[in-house]
Formats: sequence, C-alpha cells, structure tokens
Amino acid sequence: MSVFWLRTAAALYFCGLVYALIYLFRKSARLFRPALVAFAAGTIFHLVSIAELWAETGRLPLNNFYETSSVCAFLIAVLFLVAYTRYQISVFAVCIFPLVFFMTMIGATEFPIPKWSSELRNTWLIVHISTVLIGYAALIFAATASVYYLLQERQLKRKQVTPSANRLPPLGTLDTIISQSMNAGFVFITLGTITGVIWAFIESGTEWIGNPKIAFFLFTWVVYLIMIFLRVSAGWRGRRIAWLAVTVLGCSVITWAAHATLGSYWQR
Amino acid sequence: MRLLLAGVNHRTAPVALREKLAYRSEEIPAALVELQALGAKEALILSTCNRVEIAAAVDEEFAAEGFPADTLLENLATRRQGIVFEELRPHLYRFEGKDAIRHLFRVAASLDSMIVGEPQILGQLKEAFAQARDQGSIGSVLNAVLPRAFSVAKRIRSETEIGRNTVSVSHAAVELAREIFGSLQKKRVLIVGAGKMSEGAARQLSNAGAEIFVTNRTAERAAEMAQFFRGQAIPYETFPQRLAELDIVFTSSAAPAYVLTREMVRRALDVRKNHPIFLIDIAVPRNIDPAVQDLEHAFLYDIDDLKRLADRNLRERQDVAEQAEQIVSDEVERLEAKLREREVGPVIVSLQEQLEAIRQDVLGKHRARLGVLTADQEKALEALTRAIVNRIAHGPISEIRREAAEQAAAPQDAELASVVRRMFRLR
Repeated sequence: MSVFWLRTAAALYFCGLVYALIYLFRKSARLFRPALVAFAAGTIFHLVSIAELWAETGRLPLNNFYETSSVCAFLIAVLFLVAYTRYQISVFAVCIFPLVFFMTMIGATEFPIPKWSSELRNTWLIVHISTVLIGYAALIFAATASVYYLLQERQLKRKQVTPSANRLPPLGTLDTIISQSMNAGFVFITLGTITGVIWAFIESGTEWIGNPKIAFFLFTWVVYLIMIFLRVSAGWRGRRIAWLAVTVLGCSVITWAAHATLGSYWQR
Repeated sequence: MRLLLAGVNHRTAPVALREKLAYRSEEIPAALVELQALGAKEALILSTCNRVEIAAAVDEEFAAEGFPADTLLENLATRRQGIVFEELRPHLYRFEGKDAIRHLFRVAASLDSMIVGEPQILGQLKEAFAQARDQGSIGSVLNAVLPRAFSVAKRIRSETEIGRNTVSVSHAAVELAREIFGSLQKKRVLIVGAGKMSEGAARQLSNAGAEIFVTNRTAERAAEMAQFFRGQAIPYETFPQRLAELDIVFTSSAAPAYVLTREMVRRALDVRKNHPIFLIDIAVPRNIDPAVQDLEHAFLYDIDDLKRLADRNLRERQDVAEQAEQIVSDEVERLEAKLREREVGPVIVSLQEQLEAIRQDVLGKHRARLGVLTADQEKALEALTRAIVNRIAHGPISEIRREAAEQAAAPQDAELASVVRRMFRLR
C-alpha cells in the first residue's frame, strides 16, 4: 500500500513541477498558492508512505536507492516548507519542486508494474524521443544565442562596436532569445525525462536505475535545472550562463551519443 | 546675375574666430538688410556653431570689381566687435557660380560637416533660407539654387547610406544604447546635469520611446527639463539610490568628483539581477568612476569613446561620401544647364519676337500688291514667310542653346547670346 501513497505524493508534487515550468514563462504569483498547497499535501502522503513502510519492516526504509531517494526527497520537501514558513522565499520553488518530484518518482519505481502492449510502448517511445529532441533544438538555440551574447558583450566592453556596421543582434534581444529558448528547452527536456524514466521503469523494472545512459540523462537534467534556477533567482546572464548553456549542451550531446542505436528499443 | 559665396567653417577657422563672427538668429534680418544695402541683389546668411557663410547674387557690374563676396563679408564682418578683416582673410573660402552651387549642395547634404552625414545642417540651411525669404532677400538665383540643394540633400540621404552615420555624440550614445537594449521603448533614462548636451541626448532618447528622469544640482532646472520631456525629476542628493531601476544614465554635470562610484553601480546591478546598465559620461572631468567598466553587465562610455566612434564612422563612410560627391556633381551640372538655359531664354524669345515683327511688318506692306488671293493662296503665303523666318532663326537659336548646355557657367561664356542680341538689335 505504501507505494500507492508514494505515487499519490508524486502526482501532487507534479503540480509543483507544472507550476515551476509555468513560472519560467509567466512570472505570476497567483499560481504559487495552489502549487504550494498541492506540494504540502504531497508531503503528507509522502510521510504516510514512509511511515507505513517503516511499520511494515520495523525500521526506517533505507534499503536501496529507491528508498533513499524517496526519503531524501521527503526531507528536502520538509526543509523547503519549513524555510518557506519562516522566510517566505518562494524563488527556491522553481528548483525544489521539480527536484522533489523527480526523486519521489524514482522512489516510486521500486516495484515493477505489468508489461504493456507494443503499440502503447512504441507511441510512448515516440513521445519521449520527440520531446527530448525538441528540447535539444531549443537548447542548441539558447547556446548559440549565448555565444553571440558573449561576442556582442565583448565588443561593447572593448568599445569596438560600430552601430551602423554591426551585424550582431542587440544584447537585450539576445537575452530574451536565450531566456525563452532555455525555458522552452527545459520544459521539453523535463517532459522527455519523465517519459523516459517511466518507459525505462516499465521496460526493465527495477533494473532501470542501474542503466548509465539513464543516470547520465538525469545528471544532464539536474545541471539544466541548476542553470534555470541560477538564471531565474540570481540573474545569471552573460559569460556565466553561456558557459552553463554550453555545458548542458555538452552533456546532452553525450546522452544523445549514448543513445546512438535506437533500433533495439522498437518493438516490431 | 552672379552667385557668390564666402565664409569660414570648422576646418578653416578656429572656434575663437568662428564664435566672434557667428550671428545670433535675431541678428540675421538686420545683417541681410545691410548686405542688400551693400549691393547684393539677393542674400542669405548661414550661421551655425561650425560655419558662418554668406551667399549672395550680384549684378555682373558689381561682380566685375575684384572679388565682391569678400567685400560683402568684409563690410559685414568688420561691423562686428573685435574682428579685423586681415585676421579673417586667411581663414576665408570663396566660391562663385558653379563652385558656389556645388558648395551649397555639399553643405546641405552634410558632406562638408564636421561629422559627415549629420542631419542638423539641412534644417539650419532651410531655416536660413526661410529667414532670408521673409526678409525679401531671395530672388530668382537663390530661389533656384537652394530648393534644389534641399532636394539634392534628400536624394543623397535616400540613395546612399550617409544618413545611417552616427552623427553626433548624443546620437552615437543612442545608437550604442540600441546595441545594448534593442528597442529603447519604455527604457528608463536618467539625465544627470541638465545642460545643453544632455538636452540633445534626452530629446533623442525620448524620441526613441525612452522614459526620461532628470536630476540636477539646482532642482528647478531638473524639474523644468523633466517637464519638457514629460519625465520625472529626481532629487540630486538621492539619485544613486535609484540607480537599480534605471537602464541608461547620461551624465554631464560639472561635479568636481565622481558622482557614481564602482560600489554604487555594483549594488545596482545586484538589485537589477544583472540586467545591463549603460552609462554615458560626457562630463570633463568625468562624473563616473572609470573602474565601473570592470563590472560585468555595466557598459561605460566617456566622451572620448563616443568621439572615437563618431570618427570611425567617418572613416568607414569615405566611400559613401564619394558616392554622394558624384551625385552632387551630377546635380550641379543639371542645375547649371537649367540656369544657363534660363539665362539665354530671354534672348531667344526676343529674337523670335523680333523676326516675327519684321515678317508681319513686311508682309503688311506688300500684301496689297498681290491683289485678291484664294484662301489656299493666303495660307501658302503665310507658310512661306514663316518658313523663311524660322530657317533664319534656327541657326542662331540652336547655337545659343548648344553653347548654354555645353559650356561652363562663367558669364563671359554666354557671349554668343550677347552677340546675337547685338546683331539683331534686340532689346
């Protein structure tokens, strides 16, 4: 039964993730309240899940990666809620909500579920790959714009810009392009990660967690999350964000290369 | 009538001399009257911070005495305080006829400006023209040359890239701001020090859609300028605290020490979450600590940077200038030809009238002897006499026209017209 509570918690945390993604595009404070309520409710279900597992086995459920991931996510969630009650800082939500959702989701994959039909499987795979590819495209766009930003910024700093002869777009325009493509890329790569994890879980049961390809994909996603967070909260732009964008792009390229042969995944 | 031009500009005369010679706008009508009294049939005075010029149309007799544009300018100039003509002479340039037209075209098109391509000069020339017209000192010559100069300037502006030039310090600042922010719509600009230079910058930035904030040591002046640009005045003592909400800061105050330090800008950038801030410091001594330039996301340009930028533009525009010069040459030729044709026009008309009068006179005297003629015969007689007259006139007329179209404009070249005038005893 505990895994049911955990999945319920994950579903509620998902609302938090959706909020974080929307926040990237529309900085509206209205949605934060409902997202926070859902998140807090998720934490309660999470507690129930852990407590039940504890009661069943007689000790704190820290037997494997799934369980540690779940417990860690729970602790992060609690810390966030405590910090929020004390300091009313909502900007961490952009980073914490997606992270807690993912860790809980990983925790919820401890017990395999029945296999699925090959049609659903193939459709799922198509959705997964296309969302990731759209995410990559947006990311490449963001990285290119970041490089242009660096060039333009350097020219302006060195006072080498001749406005009438300059072919580079203005800094402000580049900044907007970087923000928008980076955010769009994050949304799609997040969706791609969720579909990918679920796919791997159904496909190879609890074994999925040991797959280095997937581990690296998750790592890429986490770096991406950090980049988005730094940009939104600390206002990172220019040189630093350009390097981060290039790093994320590099990770993505490695993930991509790791999935060079996709033929075996398709069910004929 | 002959067109003459004399003057000094930023290349030929130092500012100390130019400012002595310069006319305030309200002094010009009186000076135009003086010029007319001195013998100019038509006159125009162009006085800007970079040039003082007079253009005048005079009778040929007047033109024959040495170089009369000098005389005009001398008479005019020496009435002004502190000017000795000998001191002025080495700095003068003088043109006449075709060269004067060319010079006016080049001035109008901003090819003769300190910063080639700057658009203000055309407006100033138009104003000078309007002023002279109001004063009744514009006649057929200047009325033909100046409107033409305006349209040549327009043509050059649309056919070459001269207008894309960065034209002045404040314009260079606006262009740079666009490189940083893209659109300046709703960007917030603080003007520190409400002087004349900052007013120009404020105008350009305001036209580009920016919101203007003004601060000044004397608050009244700040309020005045803010009101003019529908902006807001900020108390001088507290403006550094509001730095974070500003995108562009333009300083030109006479403050002896830095009014913005590196620390102030760094703090503002933190609050702004590193949204770039553009600082333009045209004050001497400088208003903003140069160390600000080390901060990422802060772009600081001082007066020398902006000047360098304007100069670089100038060099890059050399070929554009050549293209523009070609247009000027073509247009000078065209106007010249038209003017010359207009000059010989009266000769041609009076020749035709003269011959027609002779024809009618002779025909009238001898018609009676021919008795009654049929209508057809009447017609034939008319055609015959006309044909003879036209044949005779054809040679001289086409020669005069050809000469007018081909030769240079100096008056002695229109000789043929005067020969014809004499030979046919035209009035």
